[in-house]
Amino acid sequence: MKKLSVLLIVMCLVSSIFAGGSSETPVAPADAAAKAPIDLKVWVGELYVDATAKMIESFKAQYPEETFNITIGIESESTCKDTILTDPEAAADVFTFADDQLLDLVNAGAIQEVLVNADGVKSANGEGAVAAATVNGKLYAYPMSASNGYFLYYDARFFSEDDVKSFNTMVEKAASAGKKVGMQFGVDGGWYLYGFFKGAGLEMVINEDGTSNSCNWNSARGVEVAQGILDLVASGAFVADSTSNLVSAAADGNVVALVDGTWDSNPIMDAFKEGYACAKLPTFKVAGEDVQTASFAGYKLIGVNPHSKNVGWAMRLADWLTNEENQVLRFQTNGDGPSNVNAAADDAVRTNPAIAALATQSQYATVQRVAGGYWTPAATLGTILSQGNPEKTDLLKLLDTAVAGITAPSL
Amino acid sequence: MAESLGTRVKKAVAPIGGFFTSFALAVKKGDIFVKLSLLIMGLGHIVRKRVVSGIALFLTEIGFFLFLGKFALKYLGKLPTLGTVQAELYFDPILFTNVWNDYDHSFKILLYGIISVVIILLFIYIWITSVKLAYKLQVDKEKGEEIPTFRRSIRDALDTKYYRTLLFLPILGIVVFTVIPLIVMIAVAFTNYDQQHMPPTALFTWVGFSNFKQIFTTSITSTFGYTFGKILAWTLTWAVLATFTNYIGGILLALLINNRYTRAKKFWRTCFVVAMAVPQFVTLLLVRNFFADQGIVNTICSNLGITSLLKSIGLVPEYLNYIPFLTHKVWAKVMIIVINIWVGVPYLLLIATGVLMNIPQDLYEAATIDGANNVQKFKAITMPYMLFVTGPYLINSVVQNINNFNVIYLLTQDVYETTDQLMAISHGRETDLLVTWLFRLTNEYYNYKMASVIGILVFVVCTVITLVAFNVFLKKNKEGEMQ
Repeated sequence: MKKLSVLLIVMCLVSSIFAGGSSETPVAPADAAAKAPIDLKVWVGELYVDATAKMIESFKAQYPEETFNITIGIESESTCKDTILTDPEAAADVFTFADDQLLDLVNAGAIQEVLVNADGVKSANGEGAVAAATVNGKLYAYPMSASNGYFLYYDARFFSEDDVKSFNTMVEKAASAGKKVGMQFGVDGGWYLYGFFKGAGLEMVINEDGTSNSCNWNSARGVEVAQGILDLVASGAFVADSTSNLVSAAADGNVVALVDGTWDSNPIMDAFKEGYACAKLPTFKVAGEDVQTASFAGYKLIGVNPHSKNVGWAMRLADWLTNEENQVLRFQTNGDGPSNVNAAADDAVRTNPAIAALATQSQYATVQRVAGGYWTPAATLGTILSQGNPEKTDLLKLLDTAVAGITAPSL
Repeated sequence: MAESLGTRVKKAVAPIGGFFTSFALAVKKGDIFVKLSLLIMGLGHIVRKRVVSGIALFLTEIGFFLFLGKFALKYLGKLPTLGTVQAELYFDPILFTNVWNDYDHSFKILLYGIISVVIILLFIYIWITSVKLAYKLQVDKEKGEEIPTFRRSIRDALDTKYYRTLLFLPILGIVVFTVIPLIVMIAVAFTNYDQQHMPPTALFTWVGFSNFKQIFTTSITSTFGYTFGKILAWTLTWAVLATFTNYIGGILLALLINNRYTRAKKFWRTCFVVAMAVPQFVTLLLVRNFFADQGIVNTICSNLGITSLLKSIGLVPEYLNYIPFLTHKVWAKVMIIVINIWVGVPYLLLIATGVLMNIPQDLYEAATIDGANNVQKFKAITMPYMLFVTGPYLINSVVQNINNFNVIYLLTQDVYETTDQLMAISHGRETDLLVTWLFRLTNEYYNYKMASVIGILVFVVCTVITLVAFNVFLKKNKEGEMQ
C-alpha cells in the first residue's frame, strides 16, 4: 500500500510538471516616447584615437535629437581583417583597414555594401580610391586616405635628383661608396616584387572566380625582367631585406635609399636628417631600355559590419568620418594623405614630400586585387632573385614554377 | 611482462564489458520498481528509502529532457549536414538596419552538436548507473543489509570516498575545457572549413577523409605531400638534435663547473641560471635582430674579416657579402640549433648537477684504484648513471621538442623566406616544424581543415615515438645499474 501511494505521488508530480498550462502574462506596451540609444563600436589604429574622438563629437552634434553610445576600440589597420574574420558577428560596427584586405572581407561576407551616400562618396574621392573600395561594381567601403602605397626614400646628401631617376645609376653610385639601396622584394616581398614585372608590361591579376590569379610572368619578357633584377643585385648594392631592418640600417648609415611607405616616414626622417627626400620609384634596365617600376596603390578604407545592430547609423558615422573636413583633420594630426579630391588639392597636402612622391607614383600604381595564392610563391621568387639565383636555375623554368604556384587556387 | 598483446588488450577492455553485463543483469533480475526506474529515474531509490538521491536523479532526468528539447535536438538534427540554410540579408530602410534570415552557422552547429552528444553520453552513463544502484539496493534489502541513509552518504563522500569528491571538479574541468574542444578540433579535420567556407556567411560540410588524402599527395597546384614529407623529416631531426645537444652540453658544463679545480662554482652557476631568468620570448626576438643580414653581428664579422674568410672557404655563398645567419637554408638550421643550446642548456645544467651530486663517490674511488683515467670513468660510471636516471626525461624531451614552437617561430617568422618553390605553394619553409607550419596555415591562410589534419598527424607521430621508446627503454631498465 505504501509503495503504491509513493508511486501515485510520483506520477502526480510528473504529470503536473507537463500538464501545467502556460499562463498568458499581459505584455506591457512599449513606451513609444523613449528612444533607445544607438550603440556603435569603432575600431581605429592606436595613433588615431584622439582624432577619431574629435570626429565622433562633431558627428553627435550633427544629430542632436538622437542619443548615441559610441565607444572607440584599438585595432591595427593591418590586422583588422584577421580580427574580424575570427568572429564576424562580434566585430565592431565601424572599422578602419588597409585596402588589400577588402577582397577577403567581401568574400567572407563580413563587410556591408555602402548604401548611405554612395554617389556622394564616389564623386568626392579620387578615382583610384573609389576603385580600391569597389568590388564587382559595388562600393563596399568609404575611402579614408590615399597614402598607403610605396615610393622611394633617399638621402639627398648622397644622391642628386637626377641620380634617383634610375635604379641602375643609384646602385652604381652606392656600390662605389660601399653603401646600399634597399627594397623588400625578398622576405614577405610579393607586394614590392609586383612593380618590376608590371612596369615591364606583364600582368598578374585575380580571376573572375575570385580564388585564383592569372599571371603571364613566365614569358620571354618575364625572363628579361628577371635578368634586369639579377643585374641590379649583381652590383652588390641592391639588397632585399625587410623594411624594418632597412630603416635600422639607414639609421646606421649603411643604407642610403629604400623603398617604403608613409608609415615609416618618421624614423626615416630621423635617419636621413636634413637629407630626407622622397621621389617616385626609379626606372630599371630591362633588355637595354629603361622601364618605369610600377607599384601597388594603397588606400585606407572605413568599413561597416553587416551584422551590426545599427547598420544604417554605422554607415552614416563611417560617411562622416571620411568626409572632407575629417580627412583634412587626419592629415593634420597624423600626416595621412586624403583621398578626397578637394582635400588632396590643398597646398599643405600637396607639398608634403612623401605625399607628393606618392601622387607622382600613383599614375603607375594599380589597385591591389590579388588572390591568396600569390604571396608565398612571389616572395620565394623574389628571394631567389635577391640571392642572385644561386642554383643557376634556368630563368624561364624558375618563372614557370613560380607562376604555377601563383595561379594555383587558394588552399 | 610475458603476456601477449591480445591478453593485454582483453584485460584493458574487460571492465567496459562488465559494465554492460551487470546492467543487463540488473534489468533482468530487478523487481517492478527497478524496471520502472528505467523510465522514471530514481523511483527505485525512493522506494528503498533513499529519497533525496531518488529525487535528485528524477530532477536530472527532467533537466535532461528539457535540455534535449530546447537545445540539443535543434543542433543534433543539423549535425549530419552541418547546416543547409545559407545566410541572407536585406537592408530595411524603415528599421534602418539589416534584417537577416534564420541562417545556419556551421561552426556553431558543430560545436553545440558535439557538446550535446557528450552530454547525452554522460546522461546515459548516469542512467545505467542509477538502475544498477536501484538493483543493488533491492539485493541489499533482500539480504537484510542496512541501506545507507543520505547523511551517511555525505559523510562517506567527505571521508572514505573523499577521493571521488576531490576528483569531481578537476574531471569536470578537463571534460569541458580539454576533451570537448579536442573532439571539436579533430572533427574539423573531416570538414572543408577553410577560407572559402567561413561561417557565418558560408557553410562548410563533412568531406570524410579527403583532407588526409590531400596531405599525402603532390601535384602541380597542391604540394602538401612534398612539403609534409620534408617538414616531418626536419621535425624529427630537430627534435633529436636539439635534445641531445642540450643534454650533452648540460652534462659537460655540469662536470666542468663541478670539477675540483674550478673556482667560484656558485658564480658560474648563477650566470647560467640568470640566462634562464630572461623570458625565452625576449631572448629569441633580440637574438633574431642581432643576427639580421645587415645587423650587428654581421657588421662585426665583416669588419673583422670573418665574412671574407668564410667566403673563401665556401661556407658563405659567393653572391653575398654578409653571413646569412637566419636566411640561408643550411645556416638557419645550424643557427637555430646553436641558439637553442644557449636557451636550453641552463635547465640541463641544473638537472645534471643534481644527478651528478648523487653518484656515490666510492664508485669513482674504486675506479681510480683500478687504474681508470678520467675518460674511462666518464664512459663507465657517469654516462650510464645519468642515462639511467634521466632516461624517461630524455624521451619526454624529444617528444616535447617535436612541438617546440617558440624557438623556430620567433627566430624565422619574419626573417626567413623559403627558396624551395614547391614548398612555397603550401606555405611551408625548410626550417618549419609541423607545429609552426600548422600555425601559419591557421593564422594567415585560415586553412583550418589542413591545420587540423596536421595536428592529428603530429599526435600520431608523438604517440608512436613515445610508445616505441618507452617499450624499448623499459625493457632495458630492469637491468638496474651498470657495474
